[in-house]
Amino acid sequence: MRTSRTLGLIMIAPAAIMILLFFLMPVVLTAVFSLTNMSTATGISGGAYQVTQAAVNRLTTDMPELAAAIAGPRFVIDEEGVAALEALKLKPGLAAELRAEHLGEVFASRREAERVIKALKDRPSTREVKRISDLFNRSVLNTRFETRQALLESLRKLGFNLGPEEQEAVAKATYTGWVWTADNFRTIGNSPDMAQIFLNTAFYVAVTLLFFNVGYALFLALTTHYMAAATASIFRAVWLLPRITPVVIYVLMWKWLTWDNGFLSLFMGQFGYPPRNYLLDNAQGAWFFVILINGFIGASMGMLVFSSAIKAIPETQFHASEVDGASRWQQIRYIILPQLRWPILFVTCYQTLSLLASFNEILLSTRGGPGRATEVWSLAAYHTALQNYTGNLEYGLGAAMALVLVVIGVILSLIYLRVFRYDTLISKPLIED
Amino acid sequence: MRILLDKFSKSFGSTKVIEEMDLEVGSGEMLALLGPSGCGKSTTLFAICGIHRPTSGRILFGDRDVTGLPSQERNVGVVFQSYALYPHMTVAENIGFPLTVRRMAAANIRKEAAEIAALVHIDNLLDRRPAQLSGGQQQRVALARALIRRPDVLLLDEPLANLDAKLRLEMRSEIRRLQKETGITAILVTHDQVEAMSMCDRIAIMKAGEIVQISTPSEMYNDPRTAFVAGFLGNPPISFLKGMAEGGAFVFGNSIRLMLPALAAIPDGAVLTLGVRPEHFGTSGDVQVEGKVAFAETQGRENLYDVVLPDRSVLRSIQPVRNDVAVGDPVCWSLDSKAALVFAEDGRRL
Repeated sequence: MRTSRTLGLIMIAPAAIMILLFFLMPVVLTAVFSLTNMSTATGISGGAYQVTQAAVNRLTTDMPELAAAIAGPRFVIDEEGVAALEALKLKPGLAAELRAEHLGEVFASRREAERVIKALKDRPSTREVKRISDLFNRSVLNTRFETRQALLESLRKLGFNLGPEEQEAVAKATYTGWVWTADNFRTIGNSPDMAQIFLNTAFYVAVTLLFFNVGYALFLALTTHYMAAATASIFRAVWLLPRITPVVIYVLMWKWLTWDNGFLSLFMGQFGYPPRNYLLDNAQGAWFFVILINGFIGASMGMLVFSSAIKAIPETQFHASEVDGASRWQQIRYIILPQLRWPILFVTCYQTLSLLASFNEILLSTRGGPGRATEVWSLAAYHTALQNYTGNLEYGLGAAMALVLVVIGVILSLIYLRVFRYDTLISKPLIED
Repeated sequence: MRILLDKFSKSFGSTKVIEEMDLEVGSGEMLALLGPSGCGKSTTLFAICGIHRPTSGRILFGDRDVTGLPSQERNVGVVFQSYALYPHMTVAENIGFPLTVRRMAAANIRKEAAEIAALVHIDNLLDRRPAQLSGGQQQRVALARALIRRPDVLLLDEPLANLDAKLRLEMRSEIRRLQKETGITAILVTHDQVEAMSMCDRIAIMKAGEIVQISTPSEMYNDPRTAFVAGFLGNPPISFLKGMAEGGAFVFGNSIRLMLPALAAIPDGAVLTLGVRPEHFGTSGDVQVEGKVAFAETQGRENLYDVVLPDRSVLRSIQPVRNDVAVGDPVCWSLDSKAALVFAEDGRRL
């Protein structure tokens, strides 16, 4: 017993490792990323401390005075600057006088510092004044520090005496790397854009699922069941074509159909309608074609599953029900549909998840347009994290959106199992003689 | 109700299964369609219930021509070999299904289902599902479902084939009891001659799409029209000896010579077959036959012996239990020539 159990574990180990690496890890990593603010700007490794205008702006909301002070230029007459001045080999008096008279002075602006330099006894030319003042420029704006220590040290030298709270605020505002945060979920929860995308997704999934992936598939399976075998298989094969056509080509054909110089426009032109892009002209049209494109692909799977499930019903049950007086409609209602409960549950569940997660047909056809009319959740996540118009790819936010999708999928699956009473489907029979 | 098949033919594609069959089943009668597999008996049944459409000919229920009607519009009850119960419905729902599709009120359906279930003794199982029933119980549900709408004819397609031996015996008398109690016309399709003989008023024996003989079980047993009928009925089966006609007698080898009145007009040298039932070969009879016991089987009340004759033909004998004969013993037993059946070369009874 023990050995066989160990052996079993060893045998399953490669598969278990695969599952961990390729199935579980992506979900775990998504969850991890979703709790960060990672983006193109932050990078995915650690960052530095950079006093940019953006950082100053961030600081302004909490500490406006400090922010203004940090943003302003600072000119400090220090030993370092004086030594640099000596190295320029200008008139030696300049350096000597600055060291003797002005060492340690701090000026809030370039003008103030240059006024002092101009007033030196050796009278530097205007060009020289500029060069000299540059040597004493100690402004931190647009300076990059590798560590927080270096940033604070530099600020202290410039005469900022920051309390711990201020230090924290400055460090936080100037940090360029990613940090842990739950802001992504707040964004998702509060943004009206997200709410719209959520509604789009619900509409898209519900309509495609109801009318095509389950409804139309069921219709096809039932009608082909009552057809002659040869006709039925031709019919099924035709409905499989969208599934086996490469999706790029399939969508391209839809585009040809709907473009402003495509078949639809040409056809409508016969009746005097001006050509237009039926796919992207308005939101209703876009939804209509997006749902058709996905529905025709999705219906084939349900059709196959339902057809084979109907075939699995013994033929004598159909004979018996005919003899019992059942019409075709009653046969469907009382004999076929009740026995398709499990396949319908399976197809509904599976297709909900795949509709929630797949966006390739929409990406290829409307790209979520016109505007963001057909932007669905997974496409929005893709746009946010991987393909952004502004160029700043927000991995963290995208991961959070993907995580929401996973959670919704799990919740929906549980609801389906409940609605279709999965427990009664697997209950054991009580055979007694 | 009287059921009439008038020149009924059925082909599937170019294969002719039944050709111009005439069959009449009297009102309240139970008739067996008996024959080997592939003889067309199930095809006939399916044509009567409307699952198959006849290629030509007419089918009448009473005076009503139902030939062109779909199953739904014929009033028939069918018990299928596999019972064809609906697995997702309870017993009550299964039994009540023919009424459900007629949109009868649920309470009435339940009441009628309970009544008919009581008739077949399953009224305590109404809320079970088929998977929770034994084979015999499923069979009773199928019967109840077939009977609930009071059909013009009850069709039974090998109803006992899926039951074990003991249940088969029980259901045999049970089906017959129901048929008599309800007074319904019934047609039983079977390949088992014991079922046909024990349950039915008349037997129609079929071979290759034709009815060879139709008569009561005892008449068919004692007076078969062909060698096929004689061979099909009887358990243990009849044994056949190949011989020749000679001066109004059946001659087999140089040992057996039977004077048979039926052979008076048969020319000498005609090839004949003699059928001897096991009960007509043994301790009493007028012709002595020598042979060797090749096989002996004890059946409790009786013993069954296979006796090999010098030319390797076999005669079967069934006798009350005796312990004095063992396999390998030479015996000289007697054959009852009056009960022997003689057939022409084409199988026709003479």
